[in-house]
Amino acid sequence: MSNPVISIQHLTQTFRGATAVDDLTFDIAEGEVFGFLGHNGAGKTSTIHMLTTLAPPASGTAVIAGCDISTDPMGVRRAIGYVPENVRLYDALTGRENLKFFAKLSGVDDPAKRVDETLDLLDCKDIADRRVGDYSKGLRQRIGLAQAVLHRPKVLFLDEPTSGLDPMGIKMLRDIVARLNREFGMTIFMNTHLVSEIARTCTSIGVLSHGRLVYHDTMKAVTARYGDDAALEELYLSLTPVGRLAGAA
Amino acid sequence: MSKVTTNPVFIVAGKDVSDAGRDRFILLVTLFLTVAAIVSLVTGAIALATDVATYDAAKATLLALGKPIDAIATPEFYPLRLLRGAIEQTEIIGAAIAILMGYRAAASERGRQTLALIMTRPVRRWQFLAGKALAGLLLLTGGLFVVLSLGAIALHLVSGVGLNTMDLLRIGIVWIVAVAYTTCFFLTAFILTLWMKRPPQALLAAFCLWLLLVLIAPQIGDTLDPDNQVAGGVFAQLHIAKPDQVEIMKGFATFETVRTGIEAASITKHFERFAFAVLGIKDTYAGVPLGAILWEKWGDALFILLASLGLGGILLVLPIRSDRLTKE
Amino acid sequence: MTSYSATTTIAAHAVRLALRERMVALLGLLFIALVVISAWLGWSATSTVNNIYVSAAAFLTDTGQVVPPNPVHNISPLSLMRNMVVYVALIGALSAIVIGNRLVALDRRNGVVPLISIRPVTRAGYALGKIAALVVLVGALTGVAAAISAITFLVLPQTALTGAEWLRLLGYFGLSATYMLLFGLLALASAAASRSESVGLLIPVTIWLALTFILPSLTANILPTAAINPIAALAPAPDTAFFHWTQTLFGPLSLAESYKIASAALLDFLPAGRGGILPLAATGWLFTATALSAASAAYALTRMDRTTGDLDV
Repeated sequence: MSNPVISIQHLTQTFRGATAVDDLTFDIAEGEVFGFLGHNGAGKTSTIHMLTTLAPPASGTAVIAGCDISTDPMGVRRAIGYVPENVRLYDALTGRENLKFFAKLSGVDDPAKRVDETLDLLDCKDIADRRVGDYSKGLRQRIGLAQAVLHRPKVLFLDEPTSGLDPMGIKMLRDIVARLNREFGMTIFMNTHLVSEIARTCTSIGVLSHGRLVYHDTMKAVTARYGDDAALEELYLSLTPVGRLAGAA
Repeated sequence: MSKVTTNPVFIVAGKDVSDAGRDRFILLVTLFLTVAAIVSLVTGAIALATDVATYDAAKATLLALGKPIDAIATPEFYPLRLLRGAIEQTEIIGAAIAILMGYRAAASERGRQTLALIMTRPVRRWQFLAGKALAGLLLLTGGLFVVLSLGAIALHLVSGVGLNTMDLLRIGIVWIVAVAYTTCFFLTAFILTLWMKRPPQALLAAFCLWLLLVLIAPQIGDTLDPDNQVAGGVFAQLHIAKPDQVEIMKGFATFETVRTGIEAASITKHFERFAFAVLGIKDTYAGVPLGAILWEKWGDALFILLASLGLGGILLVLPIRSDRLTKE
Repeated sequence: MTSYSATTTIAAHAVRLALRERMVALLGLLFIALVVISAWLGWSATSTVNNIYVSAAAFLTDTGQVVPPNPVHNISPLSLMRNMVVYVALIGALSAIVIGNRLVALDRRNGVVPLISIRPVTRAGYALGKIAALVVLVGALTGVAAAISAITFLVLPQTALTGAEWLRLLGYFGLSATYMLLFGLLALASAAASRSESVGLLIPVTIWLALTFILPSLTANILPTAAINPIAALAPAPDTAFFHWTQTLFGPLSLAESYKIASAALLDFLPAGRGGILPLAATGWLFTATALSAASAAYALTRMDRTTGDLDV
């Protein structure tokens, strides 16, 4: 792949002596919506932590938007946005106040204006002046997403973004992600264990199992080979040791 | 935008200070310390008024009997001495409040995973930490300013004596050192809360340190002082004058070394010695010029300043572990 | 499951969990260490005073002055434990606060309260279980302290206690357990009622700070550093209308003072002029306050929100 926006090279992470991420190597092209599938404890969040420079890798490296995570972490941070799982923000502040703070930290030129634009983009203007502590789970997730895109990053990392959302919330999130990808050309890297969301949203997928990448391909190729969601689920289950156990049962 | 508004240190500090403005917690703890300090000041003044009344009554009796009044010692009145209780409350409660503030400064980020959101922005780790420390320093400076200002006003009202420029300068110097002293506890709690696995454990660890340094070490030193073991003082009981006391205590040099060594390990004792000297609370420094006191007590002030700078240095080199980004 | 067995299950489980908490264990060890130190301090300070007397007597004799009696001879052997009064008031109370807080906060933080609530356990059963666990843990701490003190008296020369003195020592440890329970129960109540874990801890700590350092100043002009000295903490209030008034109004609330006065009476180092009905009144206030604290703990625990499985930091 020429000029991938994310290039992961032999990335490894250990945690208390155990290998959480094992020699991960793959590329993601610009403009992709990449779905990172894996069972609980597979190493998906550890991978995101390394790519977002939150944790240094034990070995290997990655280059994101031309910046190396080890040698140029500041460059990486200017190019990425990140929504952790169950993001909460500052309960005592309003949505707008939260966003203004994060916009300033991201080095946005006119924070107030950008906050307004982002609230419009994510359709949160009517809730922006209420305390985040009073938000529902869905609203928190939207404001959580808003803080990640204030500076219009090249790459957006989402860790289990649909966790705890109702079907309406999931659909809204899906639509927003698609819009960010379409209108701003943002590359999306999304951790999830919901196969159905992968099928609807993603243009490429990777499957992680016990820290190892066991599958990586475009959704076109996957669909062409395996067909519908149910088949995709079968594929996923067949790739993971847990899945193999369930399949045998 | 100006360099101040774009610098992450000032952005982080500004946010914390403005949060404190709307958070009742800071207001409540400042109020608590102010109440503690003023209660000590007022009760001290009332007790002193009793002593003065006793002296006046004795003087009147002597005059009535036609006897000279130089038989009884005139009580010397140094208004700043009434701040003794306020200083002690700052030593103890002020340090506890600083711990709470340091804990909250770190726990609030961990509890909401906002630490992860900040550290994935182009903000260097040391900038974030410096911003937090700066906010703490500003809040402690402001809080102690309120406490000591109100204390000075109460002192003036209660004692009926005006404070001159030199008195205010002395209070100002004690204020600066008090800020450095409480900052040490703020930084300790902040570092522990950021570093330990669970924030409430860090709060308890910080309180244990507080207990040891602020209460127990000075208390052991105080308790080992033989003069405190007998009501009224052992030498007073034996009717032994001061010069002879010194002579007798020469035979207990090792004991005294151990005792003062334990006291010297406590940053609180250094602050107390400095503040008591500057404000003339300790008898031997009452009426002594400020310059001479600062020359003699610079070691105590330096101990506190170096401790706060050292802890600040530790904070800035502290790595933020990715497994500490959330509350657990 | 009967309500008795539910309560004992909850109590036993709570004790087991609390003992695994590092901070609880650390504070407990610190408390025991200070008990040992207080025994040493009491012996060391008294023997130093004795040695000073011997030096002073020689000095006075050499200078032809009259030698007064040895003040150490007026000190009761029980008063060797006087520093323990301070350490119980400081770290003993703080340990009890931590224990009380952990007994409830652990359940709330781990999200198991809803899981317990859907089982056949009454609210009263849960509350009683937690209070019983607190009593066991505080009792154990005090018991260890009592054992160390007893060994000290048995081992040190010239400290043979009479039967009455052993009873006083036992009474003192009963009083200390009561004082610690007062704070532990407050912490139980606070942890059950607060929405955040740290606020649940801070409320009893703030009350403890006020009782230990502010009220004694108000009622008797005892400065904070004097409040942690076993002798200086017992100084009488200045004889003025103001302090008579504050004593009347705030005296019953000044529980740290009450504990110190009652303890000093039991350990025989109460200064002259502070006896009479004062120690009895102090003991009465302490027991009343502890009973009220128990009631508040029971109330808060039975009213605790059992539906949410999370506790804010």
